[in-house]
Amino acid sequence: MIQISYRDPRPIYEQVKDGFRTLILTGVLHPDEKMPSVRELATQLAINPNTIQRAYRELEQEGYICSVPGKGSFVADAGDTAALRKKELLMRLSEICAELRSLGVEESTMLEYIRGGKQHD
Amino acid sequence: MIEARNLVKSFEQTRALDGLTLTVPDGAVYGLVGPNGAGKSTLIRHLTGIYRQDEGELLINGEPVYENPAVKKTIAGIPDEIPYWSQATVDDMMRFYASVYPGFDRPYYENLGKALELDGKRMMRKLSKGQQKMAAFRFALAQRPDILVLDEPLDGLDPVNRRTVWGLILGDVAERGTSVLVSSHNLRELEDVCDHVGIMNRGKMLLERSLSELQENMVKIQLVLPDGAELPESLNVLHEGQTGRVRQLILRGRAEELSAEIAACEPLFMDMLPLTLEEIFIYELGGMEHEIKSLVL
Repeated sequence: MIQISYRDPRPIYEQVKDGFRTLILTGVLHPDEKMPSVRELATQLAINPNTIQRAYRELEQEGYICSVPGKGSFVADAGDTAALRKKELLMRLSEICAELRSLGVEESTMLEYIRGGKQHD
Repeated sequence: MIEARNLVKSFEQTRALDGLTLTVPDGAVYGLVGPNGAGKSTLIRHLTGIYRQDEGELLINGEPVYENPAVKKTIAGIPDEIPYWSQATVDDMMRFYASVYPGFDRPYYENLGKALELDGKRMMRKLSKGQQKMAAFRFALAQRPDILVLDEPLDGLDPVNRRTVWGLILGDVAERGTSVLVSSHNLRELEDVCDHVGIMNRGKMLLERSLSELQENMVKIQLVLPDGAELPESLNVLHEGQTGRVRQLILRGRAEELSAEIAACEPLFMDMLPLTLEEIFIYELGGMEHEIKSLVL
């Protein structure tokens, strides 16, 4: 399901977290679907269970999954993940706008692009 | 919980353990790293109750190990050389372990045989070194131990088997909260499986840390400051380098706090990069002898 790469400089818990976040946001994992148990993942990926727990804990704090005591973790509600996806895309948009502004692009020009009317020259 | 305080053990002129201190919390996977001759195997033979220390204290869940069957039955160990009788098959050895360890789990032993693809009818002496190791893992895991002590467990195992064995061990850690202590002379081998690391040299513990704590307390930043701007004095800089206009800093502290502090200087460019475990240890070990660094990392 997710892959751990030892060449990746990110810590392993971040790789696990980012891997699942992508699977959830792209809809590979459906809302209310059960996440693999910590034991399953530890056995399958041969990584430390505390690392997985940490990734799950942070995914839960960020609202991607919710844990039900005694039953495991589940992918959060569709409305919630859609809201998160929106927030993430808007963050990226604001970064792009900031860079365009520093390059001297007028806001009116940006707006034309945002409204979708303007194509490349 | 395993606790060693000021352990001393001498063999004739050699002080193999020289005031060693160690703490392994419950449910931890603890990597014991050090160059050859650091005292790792000597320490492990104390943990498994084979040696008695000259001085100091060694407690497992608050009780001494040496000649204490109540504690020893909760510990499974895999030594660097796998012991067996010359005429014994894998299953013969299993019957021996089952007779000694009251918690031995026969059905689990059978399942492990399938997972590890190991035929119980084969003679131990006819197995390759790696297959003997696999058999030893099968005996040890089937004891359902609270504490698993592994001396250089990866020697002789191919990458596929390493992964299978680690998968089984870590699954057990997740399910039963087993504590694992594993020795190696190579930190990289342990990076993905351990959550605690202790570095030993010459019979002493140089450094003992939890990995998440290490990762959260050190940051690598690349940045370009506007001309004339200075970084705040308060930063704890462990290392600094420069390539062209880009400065690279290794800082102690939490990523969010540091980025806020540095953003105040309005850098033209700033990028935060995660550190590999190897880099973290190089900076942690900062003042230590080069020979240890090169051996451990």
